[in-house]
Amino acid sequence: MKKFTLSSGSTIEKPFNKVWVVLGILTLLIVIFSFFITFEPSTVNLSELGVIIKKMFSPKAGRTWGDYFGFINQLWEPLISTLEMSLAGTVIGSLFAVPIAILAAKNIFKSRFVYVPIRFFMNLVRTVPAMLLAVLAVYFVGIGVLSGVIAITIFTFGIMSKMLYEVIETVDMNPYEALESTGASKVQAFRYAVFPQVFPVFLSYLIYIFEINVRASAILGYVGAGGIGSVIKDNVLYNYDRVGATLIVMLVVILVVQFFSNYVRGKLQ
Amino acid sequence: MIRFVDVVKTYPNGTQALRGINLTIGDGEFVAIIGLSGAGKSTLLRSINKMHSITSGQLFIDDVEISSIKGKDLRMLRRSIGMIFQSFNLVKRMSVFNNVLTGRVAYHPTFKTLFGLFPKEDKLLALESLETMGILDKSFQRADQLSGGQQQRVALARALTQKPKVILADEPVASLDPITTVQVMDDFARINKEYGITIVANMHHVDLAVKYATRIIGIKNGEVVYDGPSSKVNDDTLVQIYGRSLKHDEVLGE
Repeated sequence: MKKFTLSSGSTIEKPFNKVWVVLGILTLLIVIFSFFITFEPSTVNLSELGVIIKKMFSPKAGRTWGDYFGFINQLWEPLISTLEMSLAGTVIGSLFAVPIAILAAKNIFKSRFVYVPIRFFMNLVRTVPAMLLAVLAVYFVGIGVLSGVIAITIFTFGIMSKMLYEVIETVDMNPYEALESTGASKVQAFRYAVFPQVFPVFLSYLIYIFEINVRASAILGYVGAGGIGSVIKDNVLYNYDRVGATLIVMLVVILVVQFFSNYVRGKLQ
Repeated sequence: MIRFVDVVKTYPNGTQALRGINLTIGDGEFVAIIGLSGAGKSTLLRSINKMHSITSGQLFIDDVEISSIKGKDLRMLRRSIGMIFQSFNLVKRMSVFNNVLTGRVAYHPTFKTLFGLFPKEDKLLALESLETMGILDKSFQRADQLSGGQQQRVALARALTQKPKVILADEPVASLDPITTVQVMDDFARINKEYGITIVANMHHVDLAVKYATRIIGIKNGEVVYDGPSSKVNDDTLVQIYGRSLKHDEVLGE
């Protein structure tokens, strides 16, 4: 607490800023934890890293560069299924997130009995990592694209519901009041006063989450959720050149998706 | 016709906003409500379309007692009453035309309006309202690209599109500059004369209230302390309403 005394004799106290306490505790925790972390340099083998990179970006013994890039032809199908499961999961998960986000928004449902349990549920969903979701999905529906779609749907639902309810809460509620004053029902007032403010942001988030999901779903195949990740899994350790070619393709596709995402989101402002 | 009979409004925190209001406002009148901030002007205005419901007493709109109505009847009532706000209350990123069109939403069942489709008559009505307000050429711009005065005209066009009998205005010019203020007040006067729409407006600027309204209602501590033609407002009535006489520069709204 800091006290100011003015020349007139008046005094005023500046309240203590709690941020410093939080920052102090965080710093302390980091210092304490750093004592328990031990690095074992013996496990790091940089020469091996170089060997693997070389294996990835050159044809395997007995194969030509033609084979190296020819392999890309075999990637179209898993690539398309990766994009398909990302898109399907993003769209389905986002749609499921909409009603939940509305229920979680304090300015729409004012009752604590609505938004508190809904938010708890949302937080619960978000704690499960995408990889674990994929493992569980593979366990329940078997190896393939469907389990990928399920994992990405739940993963998207977790992010989207959280981001969307925060957007709904920052919406300007004055037009809502105006709509109610024209005799519109609450649903109509929401549709014409809140929805137009939220929808462009929703679309922008949807595209951004799609971008995240394309990256995530490339890994999900590793645990059996279909798509391009399964190609990496099948070839790692034996055909590094194929892993390398796959990585190049993934990189290009993700760059294209990012470019598209930035462009469209720029248009939506 | 709007009729208040012993209307009392007590807020949940105990504040008595209205203490026994008796008033009759006839069709086609232009009434300005003046008084200090917190005197109860806004509560009085908002009780007419039940944006605030009253605690006791009766409130009649065309002989329908509204303190007990709800649901569809309430929405039908509100549909016939336009409302103008200090901060315009438009959806900023939506086009002017779409904002004005929302004045028709209450005329259709909820499920029909979900898809954002309106009959051609509604669209024409919206455009005609914009023409009446002299901003037809702004129809397809985003609302936030317009100046404050133009945005308030969009809000007026939205109200007109409702085909209302009454327009309530809550500090309609409080966030406008002096020149636009006069233009918007002229618009209110024109709507009142040409369409015979009753105007009830809360005003801070006493001179503007006296100039444009035909009748002044002064509110102090939730009670009507002056009710009469604007031509008869003098220093004594202002003392009654504001507790002391206003200096020249305090009266001036421009």
